[in-house]
Amino acid sequence: MTEIAVVVDNISKRFRLYKERNQTLKSAVMRGRRSVHEDFWALKDVSFDVPVGSTFGLIGANGSGKSTLLKCLAKIYYPEKGSITSYGRVAALLEVGSGFHPELSGRENIFLNGSILGMSKREISRKFDEIVAFSGVESFIDQPVKNYSSGMYVRLGFSVAIHVDPDILVVDEVLAVGDAEFQEKCRQKFRDFRAAGRTVILVSHAMEMVQDMCDHAAWLNKGELVAFGGAEKTIAAYLGSLPGHEAAS
Amino acid sequence: MSYLKEVLGSRELLANLTLREIRGQYKRTVFGQLWSLVNPLAAMVVYTFVFSFIFRLKPAAGDPSGLDIFALWLLCGLLPWTFFVNTVTSGMGSLLANAGLVQKVSFSRIVLPLSSVGSIGYNWLIEMGVLLVALLLVGGSPLPWIPLTLLTMILLAIFATGLALMLSVANVHFRDTQYFLGIIMQIWMYMTPIIYPITLVQTQSDRVGGLFGTPITLLNVYETNPLERFVSVFRQLLYDNRWPDLNDLVTCALWAGVSLALGLWVFRKNEKGLAEAL
Repeated sequence: MTEIAVVVDNISKRFRLYKERNQTLKSAVMRGRRSVHEDFWALKDVSFDVPVGSTFGLIGANGSGKSTLLKCLAKIYYPEKGSITSYGRVAALLEVGSGFHPELSGRENIFLNGSILGMSKREISRKFDEIVAFSGVESFIDQPVKNYSSGMYVRLGFSVAIHVDPDILVVDEVLAVGDAEFQEKCRQKFRDFRAAGRTVILVSHAMEMVQDMCDHAAWLNKGELVAFGGAEKTIAAYLGSLPGHEAAS
Repeated sequence: MSYLKEVLGSRELLANLTLREIRGQYKRTVFGQLWSLVNPLAAMVVYTFVFSFIFRLKPAAGDPSGLDIFALWLLCGLLPWTFFVNTVTSGMGSLLANAGLVQKVSFSRIVLPLSSVGSIGYNWLIEMGVLLVALLLVGGSPLPWIPLTLLTMILLAIFATGLALMLSVANVHFRDTQYFLGIIMQIWMYMTPIIYPITLVQTQSDRVGGLFGTPITLLNVYETNPLERFVSVFRQLLYDNRWPDLNDLVTCALWAGVSLALGLWVFRKNEKGLAEAL
């Protein structure tokens, strides 16, 4: 029996689709109640386990609830029903460069972004050189980040995030940043991660990448879990379900 | 208690966000931090001109300090007031201003309004320092009252924090809050004895007598304003240089406690839904 890193237990997530959203006091007063809405269940009774040390892919069409599930895992959304139990420190990489202040230098932003992602100052100081080296922006580290090219900006943000060193890393499709060389560096980093026995959960539309990196996968469709298990099998089932001409995409 | 632990655990993040505000605020300006002093100075000049020079308003001289300078008397009330308004306003907007962060990263949300309090409090501290020097130069003796002044400053900061917490959540659900607040604050300022002495209210109150046949006077109603108490304590300490009325000080502490407790309660209750509501 393998150890479990994350248990997703029957979670359901509801969003309210507002027909007439009362975001102003006037409409709230005029209509007497707060809003007219319809419930939309973005996730319906989803359960699966993520084994420790696995790289776990979430796949599915647009609007299948992958990102919602990811945000639940990242503790940004809270499910209406069910629970998610994580064993270990979770870090989520849903966006790079969160909280960067354009007028502050790269150095200041590393500390700021690092602490937003939950690193302590000591930890950041210790990893500082590594972070800068990984990002490849050494010579511009004391420049305000607004002068960075968009590639440099994203690389620095990604570099901070990847150095959080969590037990469980939750990643949205942010791997597609930087040039080919930087992407290769990222892949290597993920391989190191796995080698170190850590767990990665990622969402992606690029099936080759999922196939290449993941050993487990879960396939979501319209908020419901269709299949879950070994990556190859799940991906094959997913691709098989697509009409022929879409299989390539 | 576990919440307190969570907030304490985020103190580095809080410090970093506060520093971001402070450092980012006056970047690329020639005068830098000096700008934070310009606003209260401009207000001081305008109010002094209008109310002291034109309207001939004359607050009582400081007792026992003997100070009789309208501009400094004004600043003793105006600086705490501007801090209060700025803190509540920017704390209220802090969640919206950082919507991107709230929707993408999981962290203790409360650090956002708290960092507004911190960065504005930092400016306030500098302003009060300058005021202290000015008071010393004209012969006041505010030095022994510094500890009590600091305590009152903390109480006012707590009071403002509580309001900011409540309003930040309200503003996420109803964007009207920010516009509403602008008007409320304007009225509130004139309902507080900042640019005129409370003795003028007392005179009117005595003339009117009990309201609607009750023994409650205009002054009684007027004095329910918590800011009235805060301003009065600051003036007693800095301008008069004497022990503040214990009653006033305790009232300030009570207001601060109630505001913070309510603010925390509202914030905690709504914290988890913020990412969706934004």
